[in-house]
Amino acid sequence: MAPESHSSGSQRAVETLAAKLRRRQVLGSRETALETVLVLRQVVSKARFTNIHQLVEIIRGVGRKLVEAQPKEHTVGNTVRKLLHHVREEYNNASKGTAASAANVFSISKFVLQGQPRKQVTAQKAESALVLREDDPDDPDSFARTLKPVLMEAIQVILDELETVYENISKSAKDHIHSDEIILTIGKSHTVETFLKSAAHYHNFTVIVAESGPSYGGHDMAQSLSSAGVSTFLVPDSSIYALMSRVNKVIIGAHAVLANGGMYAITGSLLAATAARAHSTPVVVCAGQFKLTPLWNLYHEYGALDFADPSSVLGFEEGDLVDKVDVVNPFYDYVRPDLVDVYITNDGDHPPPSIYRIIKESYDDEDNEL
Amino acid sequence: MAVSTSDIASPAQPGAFTTSSSSSRSILTHSIPEDEEAFSGFDIYDSYRRILCDPQISAPLAAILSLTELVEQSDAGTMFELVKALNDGAEALKKRVHNPIGLNAGSELFIAFVTLFPHESASFSELRTELVRQGQTYATEALQFRPKIADLALDFIKDDSVILTHSYSRVVMQALLHAHQRKRISVYVTEARPRGLGIKTYESLTAAGIPCTVVLDSAVAYVMDQVDFVLVGSEAVVESGGLINAVGSNQMAIIAKAENKPFYALAESYKFHRLFPLSQYDLPTHTPGILSFTQPPLRPAPELVARPSVSPETQPVLKSSISASSAMAGLLPPAPVQRTMTAEQISRNPDVDYTRPDLISLVFSDVGILTPEGVSQYLVGMFAG
Repeated sequence: MAPESHSSGSQRAVETLAAKLRRRQVLGSRETALETVLVLRQVVSKARFTNIHQLVEIIRGVGRKLVEAQPKEHTVGNTVRKLLHHVREEYNNASKGTAASAANVFSISKFVLQGQPRKQVTAQKAESALVLREDDPDDPDSFARTLKPVLMEAIQVILDELETVYENISKSAKDHIHSDEIILTIGKSHTVETFLKSAAHYHNFTVIVAESGPSYGGHDMAQSLSSAGVSTFLVPDSSIYALMSRVNKVIIGAHAVLANGGMYAITGSLLAATAARAHSTPVVVCAGQFKLTPLWNLYHEYGALDFADPSSVLGFEEGDLVDKVDVVNPFYDYVRPDLVDVYITNDGDHPPPSIYRIIKESYDDEDNEL
Repeated sequence: MAVSTSDIASPAQPGAFTTSSSSSRSILTHSIPEDEEAFSGFDIYDSYRRILCDPQISAPLAAILSLTELVEQSDAGTMFELVKALNDGAEALKKRVHNPIGLNAGSELFIAFVTLFPHESASFSELRTELVRQGQTYATEALQFRPKIADLALDFIKDDSVILTHSYSRVVMQALLHAHQRKRISVYVTEARPRGLGIKTYESLTAAGIPCTVVLDSAVAYVMDQVDFVLVGSEAVVESGGLINAVGSNQMAIIAKAENKPFYALAESYKFHRLFPLSQYDLPTHTPGILSFTQPPLRPAPELVARPSVSPETQPVLKSSISASSAMAGLLPPAPVQRTMTAEQISRNPDVDYTRPDLISLVFSDVGILTPEGVSQYLVGMFAG
C-alpha cells in the first residue's frame, strides 16, 4: 500500500512539514522532532491498514519524505525510527501467544544474538487482552481499530518525552556543577540554558559564554543567563584557548549524537573541546535522547556537515573579495568521541562508548535506513 | 566394542584395550582424552582437520562442526554425559592444536549452547539429532557472515581510500573485494613474517585488479602516514573488547593510534571469546619458551660448574671464534652469511598477539558494528543472559 493512498488531510500535513523543513522554517532539533511527531500522529490516526506491514510501510513512507526534505535534521529520522520501534513493540505485546511462538525457536544464532543490547523486559502489563485479527476479509478495519488506541498512547509517550526533555536533563544539573566553578559554554543551546539555570538555583557559579560567530547565538545566551541571575561573561571565540586554563568544565549542547559517541555540534565546539583536552578540562554534553542518531560519521569530512549562508562571514559589500575567495560557513563541527567525557541525557548520564547501546535499545536495526 | 575400536585407533593404542580392565585403568589415569576418543570410535582431531580443509571454514566453525560430529557419534545417554563428552572432546582438540584460541571460541559457544538448549524432545536420541541439526544449520548460516560484514564495512570505505591490512584474513579479503566493486581502493599489506601470508593477500588482490603493495613488517610506521585506516581480521575478539590476531597487529594498532588513524577489526560473531587477557603473556598460546633467552654460545662455561657434558661443546665454539677473528683480519674471504632466522629461532616467537581495546576504533561483526566496550557487553549478555 503506497503512502499516497491515505487521506488527503494527513497527506497535506506531511507536504507542509516537508516544505517547511526544506525552506528551513523549522529549525532546531527539538522543534523538528516535535513537528514530526505531530504529523505522524495525524498520519497514523487517519491511516487505513489491515496488517502491521502496511502500517510500518506508511510510517516509513512519511519518514522517507521528511528525511529527504532535510537530511541534516537528524531528529526527524530519529523520531520516525522511535515510533516504528514502539509500533513493533506494541504489536508484539498484543500479538503475543498468537504469532510470536512460531518465531521463537532456539538456535545457535539466536543464542549468539542474546548478547544484543536490549531493554530489560518490563513486567508484562495484564491488559494484553487485545485480540488482533490481521487481514480479516470480513472486517478489514478490525486490525487498525484495535491497534490504533495503543499506537496513540505510544505517540503520546514520545510527545511527552520531547516536552519534558529539558526538565529531565536539568534534573541532575546541581550534581554536575558546584559552587564557585567556572563553566564555559558556546553559542545558544536551549538544553544547556535550562541546565545552567536549574543549577543556578543551588549554586553560585560563573559562566563564560563564547559568542560563536557568525551566528552570535552566544549573545542571546549571555543575556538570558545574566537576566536569570547567573554571573556571565561574554567572550569572543578566539579567546577560548586562552581562558581554558581557568575553566573547570565545558558544558555544550549537541545537534546530533552519533552511534560512535561523536557528535555534531555548533561550530566552535570542536575548538572548545580540543582546547579543553589540552588542559584536561572535562567536556560535558547535554543532549536529549531524541538526538541519538544511528549514524557513524562515516567520512569525517566537513562535507557531511551543513553549511549556512556565507554572507554573514563575507558580505556582498566586500564586492572585490567575493569573486576571489571561497567562503564556507559550516553550521556544525564534528566532535570526536574521545573529546567528550560524558553525555547528560534525559535518561541518565552516559559515556560516549555506551551511546551505541542506547541507540540499539531505542531503535530497530532494520530502520537505520528508512 | 573393543574389537571395533582397535582397528580404528592408532597403532600404539590397541594393546591397552586387549588387556584386562584393571590394567587399562592405570592407562586411563594419564591419558583420559585419547581414551575417550578411542572408546567412541571417533577421533575429534581427524574430524577437525578434515573440516578445516574447506577453505571457507575457520577454526571456530570447524570446532563447532567437529563437536557436532562428536554428538552424532557419541553414545551418551544423559545430558551430563553428553556435556562431559563435549568438554573432553574440546579439551582433546585443544591439546593437539598448536594455536587453540580460535577453536576454543567455537567449542565454548557450542558447549554453552548445548547446556542452555531448552529441550522438549521425547527421548534423548531425539535431542541429540536436534543438536546435530542445530550445529549444521548454524554452520551453513555462518557462511553468510562474511558477506554481511563486508557490506557493513563498505560504508566506512570511502572512494579513493588507502587501506593498510595485515597478513591474510578471509573476512578482510571479502570486504576489500566487495569494496572494490563499488569504490576505488588501494591496499598496503604487510608481509607478516615468518609465514609470509601477506604475499597471499597481495596475490589475490592484484589478481582482482586492486592496486596493492607489500610492506615490510618493520615499515608499518613508515607507511602509516599514507594510510586512511587500518583493517584487520581476527583470530578471536575477547571479553575486554581487545583483539587476538596474527602477530604484528598490536604494533600496527599502536602506530595507528599514534597517527590518529582508525583501526577497524572484522570478526564473525563465532570468534567472540570469553577470555580476559591483560597482556600478551595471558594468552593461551604463550609458553615459557616464547621469547626466552638462550645461553649465548660464545661465553665459556663458568669454571665452577664442572659438568662433563659442557666441556666437549667448548671445542667448536673456540674454533669458530678463531675463524671469525681470522676472517676479520682479512686472512680468509668472508663466507656468505645467511641472515635469516632459523626454524628454532622462529619457534621461539609468538604466532598471535593481543591488541588492547583502547587501540581499536570499531569491531565489525555480523551482529552489527560494535565499539570494543560493546563487544564486552555483548559477551556478557551472551553467556550470562
